[in-house]
Amino acid sequence: MLDLSTPQAKLGFVIFAGLIGFFLFFPVYWLLISSVKPNAELYLTRPTLFPESFTLDHFRRALFEGGLLLQLGNTLFVSLCSAVLNATLACYAGYSFAKYRYFGRKPIMLLMLSAQMFPFGLLLITLYPSFTTWGLLDTRGGLIISYVVFALPVATYMIYSYFSQIPNELIEAARADGAGDLRIFHTIVLPISIAPVVTVVLYSFMWSWNDLLYSLTLIVSEDKRTVGPGLLLTYLNDSKADWGGAMAGSLLASLPVIVGFILLQRFFIQGVTAGAVK
Amino acid sequence: MSDLSASPTAAPRRISPHAKRGGVKAGENRFGILLLIPALTAFGLVVLFPFLEALRLSFYEFTIQMMSPEFVGLDNFRRILTDPTIIGSFVTTLIFVSLTTFFSITIGLGWALILNHPFRGQAMLRGLSLLPWVMPAVVAAFLWGWIFNSRYGLLNSLALDFGLIEYPVAYLSTNAGAMAAVVITKTWLSVPLFMAFFIAGLQNLDREQIEAARVDGAGNFHVLKDHVLPHLRPVMMVTVVLGIVGNLQHFDTIWALTGGGPVRATTVLSIEVYRRAFEQWDIGMAATVGVVWVATILPPAYFYLRQLMMRAE
Repeated sequence: MLDLSTPQAKLGFVIFAGLIGFFLFFPVYWLLISSVKPNAELYLTRPTLFPESFTLDHFRRALFEGGLLLQLGNTLFVSLCSAVLNATLACYAGYSFAKYRYFGRKPIMLLMLSAQMFPFGLLLITLYPSFTTWGLLDTRGGLIISYVVFALPVATYMIYSYFSQIPNELIEAARADGAGDLRIFHTIVLPISIAPVVTVVLYSFMWSWNDLLYSLTLIVSEDKRTVGPGLLLTYLNDSKADWGGAMAGSLLASLPVIVGFILLQRFFIQGVTAGAVK
Repeated sequence: MSDLSASPTAAPRRISPHAKRGGVKAGENRFGILLLIPALTAFGLVVLFPFLEALRLSFYEFTIQMMSPEFVGLDNFRRILTDPTIIGSFVTTLIFVSLTTFFSITIGLGWALILNHPFRGQAMLRGLSLLPWVMPAVVAAFLWGWIFNSRYGLLNSLALDFGLIEYPVAYLSTNAGAMAAVVITKTWLSVPLFMAFFIAGLQNLDREQIEAARVDGAGNFHVLKDHVLPHLRPVMMVTVVLGIVGNLQHFDTIWALTGGGPVRATTVLSIEVYRRAFEQWDIGMAATVGVVWVATILPPAYFYLRQLMMRAE
């Protein structure tokens, strides 16, 4: 599309690519090397761009001297539960919107999709006392319920777009063979929808894993704390300013989402931007 | 991550002509409603009920000293109009949202155009480019906080090397520096998503039309201006709206990076509401500011939802 046959065009292309690439990737590289530089090399007014010495001490401190290990476990539990629950609710709702016709379908769908525009910070104000009343404050259950709902609009729409493409003939043929609605969904529709379902699970998992606002506010006890607030409370008010530990902890906290993302990248990009091409 | 949204322009493609009316026969539709119940219940409990409750509380005075809320009519709204600190956070929000949306989209578009050009390692680079987007907000805040660090930060070191500054600067302690830092951090997190949208939008660009324009002597600039950008307009509209809605609500990286400071320099509405509710425990005012906040989100959100529903059958 771009014509790079002239040297000026080529040069411009390389400069722009270099600048944006530097902006996107250099911070990641900086995170990596800052987590393995020993303190003597870390705290320099002119930091070294290539580490001259190497240590895993920051990782040891981050993992074993703070509560990071426990927090990683908590976050994994909360994120897995909410991802699976979210995908389940989104699949049922998306299938209902895509393959059934009933009075009020469109308004209900609009209402559910609109959940994205309510700022979560506002909902938190009144959710907090309600959760206290319902006994959900400072529980993993409360956090899981919030995450399930907040990822629901996007997840439902993703899966709805996919289900809409499944030909009705397939469903009607199964029905003619005497299969019930629930059975058709579970044995015919779901097995051919693995990719979008996996995308929704990962999307919802990432949502829960990366959240700060809700986990910071709804969880009070240290033993239930998740990584977001965990990192923040460990390193932010830290008078020692342990940046090495903060970088190592950050890296460990990002690892699960990065690995999940790399494994499922192909599905994911398709899912999120699917149909942006029309 | 509320700005992530699936396939805003996804049109469910119709595979068979019978799919036009969609769905199954009327008799079985009760089952469709049944399928909705779990999602609707959860939605009502966590979104609808808290929102209506917040709407109600915006007409009440309710602080930590009070046993129960007291009805004050429109008093809270009047206070917003006369309180310079709250008006200040609206202005701060406007600055943060416009800068972040503008930079994320411009850089996202630029990067998509670059990655659309075939070269070795292109596919891998596309995948890698999405990395910042999957990082937790706190991690992004830490990382950029470390880069902006006044004593040991990379930015100061580079700026000194290039002779841009003479002495190290404490960026996060100045109003403009702190705003720049939160804008840059959020932009860094958002570029990948917008890039993905633009790359998807570039897939079905009419290459023959561009070839023809080339033959007529059009340069890169004209091809971009007359062919590529008009083609990307629908995607552009969606990303702008998504960016605005997402940035209007953004809390996590700002809270972790500056906490809304120094003083109030980066106190956007999300921080304002959070502080009022969970530091000053002034629930009534927090709810009122929150309701006005929703009102600012409504116009772009309406536009976006209309797009989604128009494509829904």
